[in-house]
Amino acid sequence: MTASVEEIRAEVKKLLDEGAVKYVIGYRNGSAGPFAAPAFFTGAGEADELVWDPTCFHNLARFLADERREDVCAPEAEEDGKKPVGVVVKGCDSRAVAVLLQEKFVDRDAVYLIGVSCEDGGVIDEGKLARKLGTAKVEKIEFGVDGGFVVTTDEGPIKIESADILDDRCVECRAAYPVVHDVVIGEQVDRKPEEPYGSLDEIESLAPEERWEFWERELGKCIRCYACRSICPMCYCDECVADTIAFAVTADTTADEKAQKIKWVERSPDNSENFFYHLVRAMHLAGRCIDCNECERACPVDIPLRLLNKKLEKEAKELFDYDVGFDPDVPSLISSFRDEDPEDFIR
Amino acid sequence: MEKTLKKDAFAEWLKKLPSYDVYVPVEDDGRFNYEIVGNAGAIDESFTNAVVGPKKVVFPQREVLLRFNSTNEKAPEVEEVLPEEKPAVVFGVRPCDARAVTLTDKVFGGDFADPYYWRRRNNTTLIGLVCTEPPSANCFCTSVGGSPAGKDGLDVVLTSLGDRYYVETLTTRGEKVVSDGGKVFGEPAADDKKAAEKVGTEAAAKVERQVEGVNDLTENLRDMFDSPFWDEESLSCIRCGICTYLCPTCHCFDINDEVLVPVPLTGERVRTWDNCQFPDFTMHSSGHNPRPNRASRLRQRILHKFRYFVENFGDYQCTGCGRCIIYCPVGIDIVDVLDKTAAYER
Ligand code: SF4
Ligand code: SF4
Ligand code: SF4
Ligand code: SF4
Ligand code: SF4
Repeated sequence: MTASVEEIRAEVKKLLDEGAVKYVIGYRNGSAGPFAAPAFFTGAGEADELVWDPTCFHNLARFLADERREDVCAPEAEEDGKKPVGVVVKGCDSRAVAVLLQEKFVDRDAVYLIGVSCEDGGVIDEGKLARKLGTAKVEKIEFGVDGGFVVTTDEGPIKIESADILDDRCVECRAAYPVVHDVVIGEQVDRKPEEPYGSLDEIESLAPEERWEFWERELGKCIRCYACRSICPMCYCDECVADTIAFAVTADTTADEKAQKIKWVERSPDNSENFFYHLVRAMHLAGRCIDCNECERACPVDIPLRLLNKKLEKEAKELFDYDVGFDPDVPSLISSFRDEDPEDFIR
Repeated sequence: MEKTLKKDAFAEWLKKLPSYDVYVPVEDDGRFNYEIVGNAGAIDESFTNAVVGPKKVVFPQREVLLRFNSTNEKAPEVEEVLPEEKPAVVFGVRPCDARAVTLTDKVFGGDFADPYYWRRRNNTTLIGLVCTEPPSANCFCTSVGGSPAGKDGLDVVLTSLGDRYYVETLTTRGEKVVSDGGKVFGEPAADDKKAAEKVGTEAAAKVERQVEGVNDLTENLRDMFDSPFWDEESLSCIRCGICTYLCPTCHCFDINDEVLVPVPLTGERVRTWDNCQFPDFTMHSSGHNPRPNRASRLRQRILHKFRYFVENFGDYQCTGCGRCIIYCPVGIDIVDVLDKTAAYER
């Protein structure tokens, strides 16, 4: 089962009606097909357009970085601008917010978290759906009553087992119930995935040379559109090594500073540069990636980026017993040191 | 010149083109791409459209413009590097993508013809494949002057008629690859031409998406530069490179020197794709950026395609291929945006 969209709408309507939030980031129906799209709700009257279905993949915590930097939906009255922003968060999205709180990128009172429990469900994988249905034209994707999905195509509705099209991140999800929230819609369901890192088995079983070949082939497809970075809620740096302006230029930046800038990575999409970009990104996400799988979903050329990030999540767990995004009050993996931390991997 | 080609003779044809780099659409986990193949048996019947179109053959993402090296601390010696004169033939080109090449022709042509582009372009033969059915629900070629059976930019057009293709040759480059094929082609039957035309007309009727009021578009966009419309429509845009890099008509590039050896200085001057959604695209060295945010970047993408390009070249810079809609990770939909401009209070 799943949380009811009416309850989510009622909550959003109430918040906007009472003027408790600046605006709410949620989901609407996309205009170009059966998938939902992120939406910004500013008035209570719009709340009926909010949707909640198995295509609400997007991690809306991503938009908190924009909110911090620019005036998004700036209200007319200045004091309204200081109100929190309402965000609809699934379990994984709430863990992204937890990391942003932990890193003090976002203040707790700057956000009002409308948690939605995925219960025993989750979101679908577009690729799995396409493989399952072939060329049939999908019109609508809904939660079924007993865990599966109901997909309506031009030939009518069909029931599809959860296991067939559920996204890998949901298959391996340990916390479908939002960990930080101001309100939660939906029940808390205990989820203990049998193999929380099962999707790594295949790649881990390969010999190093085979793994090298695998990544040479996969990363060789990369067109460096940076969608994986741009959609990631954790990739909020002002200065990303990937941009050719790898430092924030302001009117005060001297000519000397500009001349001395280091170009970390060339624009050329060849494997030397592609590997550099992806390895830097993966390392910068160690202990921070909460496995929302948005990077892999966004990738137009279908590179299995989740494998990189999941591997680092597993390392953090096995080496440091560190769980990402479960508690905003613990020190972060990268910035903390404990006497009992292992060091046998340092050579 | 009209011929027919049995689908199972396709491989034979390819064998007759040994001097060419032969690109065919190849499937990898549900997505197609044009790849150079030695010998392909056929064009995969499930071929929809490639993620990156044949733009990458005439305008590759990375092009070396020149090499430099300095010895004995003298000024570097510079060597011009033009693309190799190697003929390429691309099979399975969708009409929207071929038409897009006629638009990049305008950009790289004219008074300042780009020698790198033209060296590749003049060596590239585009073999079209009429869409028997719009390959995507987001195709809208018919709104912007194209058609699933359009011929602009193509050298040869193939139309599927059951177990064979109806083959129309349109240019001298096309004649070359067809005559190289020699006996693999047959003569068309009396009503093949009609049958092929019918395939195109039927497909055109199935293109579902249409831009409303497309004739007033450029005029409507003329007064919208300062409109809050762009803020509203771009709220969820993450400023990635998908919509522009995948667009068959987008042609912006950046030029950088890539140093291979610092001492003695040796390296390459390289041109790579660039795009108007990235933060450094219009960044001035003063630190000022005239397009600092998502609204100004979405505005640029739309106005370039539907206003500035019309003013400069008399055509929309969009052929309705639908890629920017299909692959945008946050559902920004160019047809929807254009539709809304018509109704927007200016
Ligand atoms: S989204 Fe995919 S193609 Fe784009 S930069 Fe990331 S890995 Fe490369
Ligand atoms: S790296 Fe990918 S999976 Fe991890 S938080 Fe970022 S977008 Fe989500
Ligand atoms: S836009 Fe038109 S020409 Fe292009 S693939 Fe779709 S139907 Fe074919
Ligand atoms: S419109 Fe979509 S694809 Fe284009 S830059 Fe914005 S998010 Fe990326
Ligand atoms: S703007 Fe979009 S639909 Fe038009 S040609 Fe470019 S990618 Fe295709």
